[in-house]
Order: sequence, then structure tokens, then C-alpha cells
Amino acid sequence: MAHPAVPALELHGVDMHYGYVRALDAVDFHVQPGEVVALVGDNGAGKSTLLKIMSGALRPTAGTIRVHGQEVHFHSPTDSTRAGIQMVYQDLALVDAQDIATNLAIGREILRKGPLGWLGFVDKKAQRKRSQGELDRLGVRSPAMTRPVEMLSGGQRQVVALARSASRVTGETNGVLLLDEPTAALGYEQTKQVEALIARMARQGIASVLVTHNLPLVIEVASRIVVLNRGRKVADVATAQTDNDQLVGWITGARPSMFPTSPI
Amino acid sequence: MTLPTGTSGTVVPSSDGAAEPHPAPAAHERDSASVRWLIFVRDRGIFVLWILLLLLFSVWAAPYFAQVKNAILIANAASLTAIFAAGVAVGIICGVLDLSIPGVAALASCVCGLLLHHHQPVWMGLLLGLLIGVVVGLVNGLISLRGFNPIIVTIGTLSITSAVAAIIAGGYTIPGLTQLKFMGTRRYDGVPAPVWIAAALFVILTVFLTQTREGIRLMAVGGNAEAVRRSGIHSNRYKVVGFVISSFCAALAGLVTTALVTEASPAASPGVIFTALTAVALAGVSLGGGRGSLPRVAVGALVLATISNGLTIKGIDPYWGTGVTGVLLLGSLSLERWISMTVSNRLIATAQASVHTGTR
Repeated sequence: MAHPAVPALELHGVDMHYGYVRALDAVDFHVQPGEVVALVGDNGAGKSTLLKIMSGALRPTAGTIRVHGQEVHFHSPTDSTRAGIQMVYQDLALVDAQDIATNLAIGREILRKGPLGWLGFVDKKAQRKRSQGELDRLGVRSPAMTRPVEMLSGGQRQVVALARSASRVTGETNGVLLLDEPTAALGYEQTKQVEALIARMARQGIASVLVTHNLPLVIEVASRIVVLNRGRKVADVATAQTDNDQLVGWITGARPSMFPTSPI
Repeated sequence: MTLPTGTSGTVVPSSDGAAEPHPAPAAHERDSASVRWLIFVRDRGIFVLWILLLLLFSVWAAPYFAQVKNAILIANAASLTAIFAAGVAVGIICGVLDLSIPGVAALASCVCGLLLHHHQPVWMGLLLGLLIGVVVGLVNGLISLRGFNPIIVTIGTLSITSAVAAIIAGGYTIPGLTQLKFMGTRRYDGVPAPVWIAAALFVILTVFLTQTREGIRLMAVGGNAEAVRRSGIHSNRYKVVGFVISSFCAALAGLVTTALVTEASPAASPGVIFTALTAVALAGVSLGGGRGSLPRVAVGALVLATISNGLTIKGIDPYWGTGVTGVLLLGSLSLERWISMTVSNRLIATAQASVHTGTR
């Protein structure tokens, strides 16, 4: 498994113990820039734990984390955000009463030039323009930038939430998006929309880690699939080389692990 | 940039704006006229209501109601409620309900009264009074941040501040504070001082909340503190700012009350909170936080004053005014609910068509 580029995010030999419970057992994981890696597995397989370790919410018992080849130690989600890793949350990411532009801009507002800027006055016009630009670059056709988020449909909200995270990780180096069930509450049409957006973000060089139970979504958008079973990685396979039945076999444990070096 | 390759040889193209296979559809949607109108009514409904009330009383209570003199009376009667309401509104918008307001008002007024009584300069009295507001706000905020319920905390500080006010004033009102007339009954350009003070406060707070970074963040914290925290902002600091502004307005209102009646009373009247809350609720400020606008709160206070003024001119018992206010409050709630539902129904109907990504 030789990779020409340095992975955007790489976890090596990650263990996570909760008391006597071993939630993760020597898991290796990496995601390249521009790659969408799906992380699947049954409930309790360790997906969420792994995602929380990547987002800095949990500290692994053992193992190393590298971002763009550099070893890092996350003490809090703020650390991982600073390293260019953004978790996309389902419902918690948006401020309902504020409009789209404000939601995209919060935390990195554009201040006006001159004395008004020193007083903290915000250049709303520039913010709207930048937000529109960010959405356009992601190929999102959105409602008016001045529309309050509470008046958006579920799909539109999720698109804005994704765009908000995406616009934060595309600095000088492309960042990593962590997506936890991004389509859980969405209908068919809206799911398609979010799928298309994830694919477009990947084309722009953003690395994405997708945690979901939705196998059709996985097969649609992921370029590579990692299967966890009871805290161990049992499969790491390109989407084109596998199918639904194989995946279900790995997820349920009916199919033997791809990595026989780790005995079950 | 190198082309990263997946294990199977799935080529993932690098980011390059020109090589984007699906160019971004750059159609910028605008909301339809009916939706914009409904949003307008929802946001400006209180103005419409007020104008209707003015028209109603102009006809019904003619000829005394529709006069400049009476307008000034209404504004003057509304100003004190408005200053309290500004504090309550900023608190609620930021997600904190500050119940210590009457106590802070009483304490500020007694401290100022005591200093003036002992022949200290006026500016020192006012400054210390306002400073007390800021300090109590800070204390409220810092205690609440430790995870205590703000309502209980502010009930605690309400008791403490009103007790301290009574202790330093010896339990009696401090009379004869005529030095404060310049911000009480004196008129400038025909308009009483409290109206100017309330107007200035509202302009400053409105600009702060809608135009500045800190103000916008303050509102966002009220709406969804978690989202703001995840943007890497210390959302707790903004809650403290909310408490401070709330207490500051209370202290200011206490001082204006003192100036109006030329005496400082240590009795904290909880009634001011409910009047202020009525104005705030009429203005459509959600108790859940995160939304609301101060100009509407000002109009809310004006609506209350208009009703009691108009009914007084007609010689009707003031109890009717209280009842009418209650009916208006419930009516405006229903109207807002209905409009929100209609808007979201309409938007959902058009959402399918308007958000297509061009990849259907």
C-alpha cells in the first residue's frame, strides 16, 4: 500500500481503553488529501471512538497521530481545529436566527476598514460576498445569503453546515473534514445533494472521513472503505474492489479479517 | 500538487478551479415577494400594531390624543420601561434572564443618593451608580459560568443588592436629590431628558448588536452557544458581557428613576421586571434567546405607554389597560407562530426546486 503523497491525517497503532474495555485495538488509519474514506462498522465497533480521537475530543491510550506528516498531540477539539481538522456536526453547527452569511463568517469576521473597524464594526457586504464565493466554489446553489438558517430545509442546512466546515479547513494546506452521519436526517433528494457536495469538496483536495451506517451512501461517495469490528480494523479496501455483500460480511464478522496478523 | 491515488488506483483529481468538472452554478436566488412580505410582517409586526393603536386612539380619543404634547408624554412614560426592557432584552437575546434588575436599580440609586446627600459631586454619584451595575453584572456572570442556573443566581443577587441598598440607606428613602433634575424632569428641545437617555441607549445597543463583531457573536451565543464555541470562540465570555449590559441598563434605569422623583428609594420593586418583560415579549424577542431586535423592544415599551395613555384620556380604569396588554401579547404570539409556519411551508415547497446542485 504505497502512497505517493503524505496523508492529510494518519493514525498509527491507536489503542483506546475504557477501564477494562478495549474500544480500539492497534488501529491504523489514514486519509489522503482529496480522498473520501468511509468508516463503517456495527454499533460499538469503535467508529465513534476513532472519530472522537481524530477530532481531539478523546485522547488515545496509545498510538500516534500525524497531520500532513507531522506528529501531533490533541488535548482538545480546539487543537485539532487549529491543525485543520473540522468535525461536521449534525444539528449543533448553526445559529438558527442568524443568516447564512453570518453563520459562515462567525469566528472569522471581516471588519470594516478604518476607525469603524477598530471599534469592531463588521463589513457585512464583504462577508456576504465571501460567503457567496465560498458556496459557489463548492458548487452549492443556495438561497439568498441573508436568509436566516432557521428558514432552510434540512438538506440546505446540512449543506450550509458542510460548507461552513469546508471553508474553515481550506487554508494554505487542505484540511480534513470529519463527517458523522451527514445524511441521517435527510430525504432522498437532500441526500443526493450532500453526496454531490462531499464529492466536490474531495475534488478540491479536502480529505474527508465519513462515519455512517448508510452503505449505499458509502458506495456512492467513498473512494476507500475501512471496516471496524469490535475495535479492530478488519478491512481497508478501495470501493471499486468491494461490494455490499462483502462489506456486510466484514461488518457482522461473518467474513474473516483482511489482516490475519491480528488474530481474533 | 501530486495526484493522490487510492489503493485501487482511484484517481482523485487535485483541486484546481479550472479543472472543476461541474462548474459551480452561480445562480443567486432571491426570496419571492410573498415570503419577503411575510418575513417583513414578522419582523416589523410590532410597528404595524403600534401604528394601528395610534390611529385607533387618534379617532377614539380625539382631539386630545393626537397632539405633540401628548406624544411627548407617551415617550416620557415609555422611556423608563424602555431602559429596563433594553437590559432584559439584551440578557434574553444572549441567553440569560437577569432577575436581579430591580435590586441593582435600587442599589445604584441609593449609592448615588447617599453620595449626593453627603455633598459629593454629581458625576461621582452617577459614575459609582453605573459602576455598581457593571460589578453586579460581572459577579452574576462569573457565578453563572460555574454551572449554576442564572435564574437562581440572579435571585440571590436580587436579595443581596436590595438588602445592601436598604442597609446603606438605613431603610428610608433619601429625599431632596434636586441635583439630578438635569436628567429627570428637565427638557431639552422640548423633549424630557429620560427620552433622550433611552434613545441614546437604544441607538448604541442596536448598533452594537447588529453591526459589531462582538454584538453579533453575543446574539449568536444566545442562539446556539455550542456552535459558537465550536468556532473557537470563548462563548462564556459573551454571556458575562450579556449580564454586564443587563445590569448596566438596570443601574441606569435606577438613576433615571431617582432623577425623576428626586429621591432614592431602597425598595426594589419586582414589578419593573414584568413590565419590561411584557415589552420584550410584545417585541417578539424569543425567550429561547438568539433573536430579537432592540428597536422593536422600544416600540414594545411605547405600545404599553400608548395604551395606558389613551385609556387614561378616555377616563377608563387603568385595569383595562393591563388586560388589553395581555390580549395583545397573546395575539402577537399567535400571529408570529402563524407567520413562521406559513413561511416555512412556502419555503419547503420551493426548496426542492431552488437548491439543485446541477447534478440531478
